[in-house]
Amino acid sequence: MKKGLTLVIGMIMGLSLLFAAGCGDSAATTKSSSSGASAESADIKAVKDRGVLKVGVKVDVPKFGFKDPATGKIDGMEIDIAKAIAKKILGDENKIEVQPVTAKTRGPLLDNGEVDYVIATFTITDERKQSYNFSEPYFKDGVALLVKKEAGITNLAGLNGKKIGVAQSATTKKTLLEESKKQNIKIDVLEFGTYPEIKTALDSGRIDCFSVDAAILAGYLDDSTVILADRYSPQLYGVASKKSNEGLAKVANDMVTEMQSSGELDKIITKWGLK
Amino acid sequence: MPGPFALFKWQAVFQDWDVFAEGFGMTLLVSVLALALALVLGILFGMMGTAQLKPLRYINRIYVEFIQNTPLVIQIFFLYNGLPYLGVMMPVFWVGMLGIGVYHGAYVAEVVRAGILSVPKGQFEAAHAQGFSYWGAMRYVILPQAKRMAYPPLTNLAVNLIKNTSVMAMVAGGELMYHADSWASSNLYYGPAYIITGLLYIAICFPLATYAKYLERRLEVTA
Repeated sequence: MKKGLTLVIGMIMGLSLLFAAGCGDSAATTKSSSSGASAESADIKAVKDRGVLKVGVKVDVPKFGFKDPATGKIDGMEIDIAKAIAKKILGDENKIEVQPVTAKTRGPLLDNGEVDYVIATFTITDERKQSYNFSEPYFKDGVALLVKKEAGITNLAGLNGKKIGVAQSATTKKTLLEESKKQNIKIDVLEFGTYPEIKTALDSGRIDCFSVDAAILAGYLDDSTVILADRYSPQLYGVASKKSNEGLAKVANDMVTEMQSSGELDKIITKWGLK
Repeated sequence: MPGPFALFKWQAVFQDWDVFAEGFGMTLLVSVLALALALVLGILFGMMGTAQLKPLRYINRIYVEFIQNTPLVIQIFFLYNGLPYLGVMMPVFWVGMLGIGVYHGAYVAEVVRAGILSVPKGQFEAAHAQGFSYWGAMRYVILPQAKRMAYPPLTNLAVNLIKNTSVMAMVAGGELMYHADSWASSNLYYGPAYIITGLLYIAICFPLATYAKYLERRLEVTA
C-alpha cells in the first residue's frame, strides 16, 4: 500500500512539473521575442512570418460561422471579420486559415497558440476577460427561446416546471435562471456540448425548449418550431485572443472600432441578414 | 502566473467544490448500480454461453457481439434520443445506469464464460459421477473455481465502467464529467477543472486497480 501512495504522489508531482515547465516555456518565449522586435510586437511578427492568420470559428452556427455541407466551404459574418483583420495584418484577406472550434475547444486552442483569434459567437464576460483579451463587441444579441409549435408555449412563464436545453459555455443558463427567479417560476436547465445535440433533444422530446442567442437560434428554426418574441440580457460578442498576445488584441480592437465607424460592420451584418 | 493554470483559477475550483462533489456523488451512484446490473447480466449470459442448449449459446453470442461491437456512445444516444420516438422516455439517470450496465454486462459475460471454460471438463464429469445435478455442479464445483479466474479481469472491468460513466456528460447526465464540462466551459477555467476531475476519477479507480493487481498476485501464488 505504501508503494501505491508513493506512486500517486509521484504522479501528482510529475503533473505539476509538467505545468511548471509549460508556463516557464511560454514566459521565456514572450520575453525573448519582445526584446527582438522593434516597433512591431512579437505576436504580430509571428503571424507575418507565418504568412497566414489562424482563426477559430464556429461551423455549426448559420450566418455567423457555418460549413455548408454541399460545398464544404466555411462562411459567415465572423469569417468576414477574420478576413478584414487578415487584410490589415497581412495585406491579403485570403490569407486566413480557419479552424472549427466548439465552446469547449476555443479556450484551450487560444492558450496553446493553435489559433491567433477566436471569432466564434464568443460572449464577453468579466470572468472570461481574466483569461483572454476581448475586442469591442461586434454584435449584440439577446437570449431567445425556441419551442415546438404543438406545445403551445408563448412565453417563459409557460415553461414553468419544464426542461430547457442550452449550450455549454454559453451564458444562457445564468440568464435563464435569473429571469425565472424574477418571474417566480421553476425551470430545469440542461447543458449540451453542441447546438445540433440540443436540437436533437428538442425533437425527441427530451427538452421542451432550446435556448441560445436569438441569431444563432434562427439557424435552427424549422416548420415544427417557433422562436418566442421575448429577448433576455443582451449578449456581446467579441474577438478573443490569448491574454499575452497584446499586439493581436489591439489590432482586433482597432479593426472592430474602425469597421463600426466606417459602417462596414453594419454592411456585413445586413449582408448576412442578421438585422 | 498567467495561462490556463493561473492561481485564481485554482481558487475558483475550490470555491465551487460543491459542483464537483455533486457530480462525483452521481458518478459513484451510477457506477455502483451499473456495476450491479452488469454483474447480474454478465453471470446470467456468461452461464448461457457455456450451456448445453444451442439456443442459449446463440442468445449469449447475439447479446455479446451486438453490444461489444457498437460504441457505448451510440447506445447511450439511442436510449436518450431514440427511445422517446418509441414512446419510452427514461429519465437520464436510468439511461446512464441501464446503458452502462448493459454495455459492461457483455464484457462480464465473456469473463464469466472464459472463467467457466477454464475449469477442466473432468471436474464437471467427476461432479456428475458423484451425483451432482447440472446446477449443483455449477454451484459447488465449477463456479467457485471459475470465480478465482474471473476476479482480476472483473475488477479491471469495474475500473473501465467507472471511467465510462463519463459518456453521460453527452446527454446532460449530471455526473462528474458533465459538471466539469459545464463549469469549465462557462468560465473557461478548464485547466484546474479537468485536473481535479481527473484526480477524482483516479481516487476511485486507482484503489480498485490496485486491488485487481493484488488479486492477480494471490492467484499466482495459490494456483
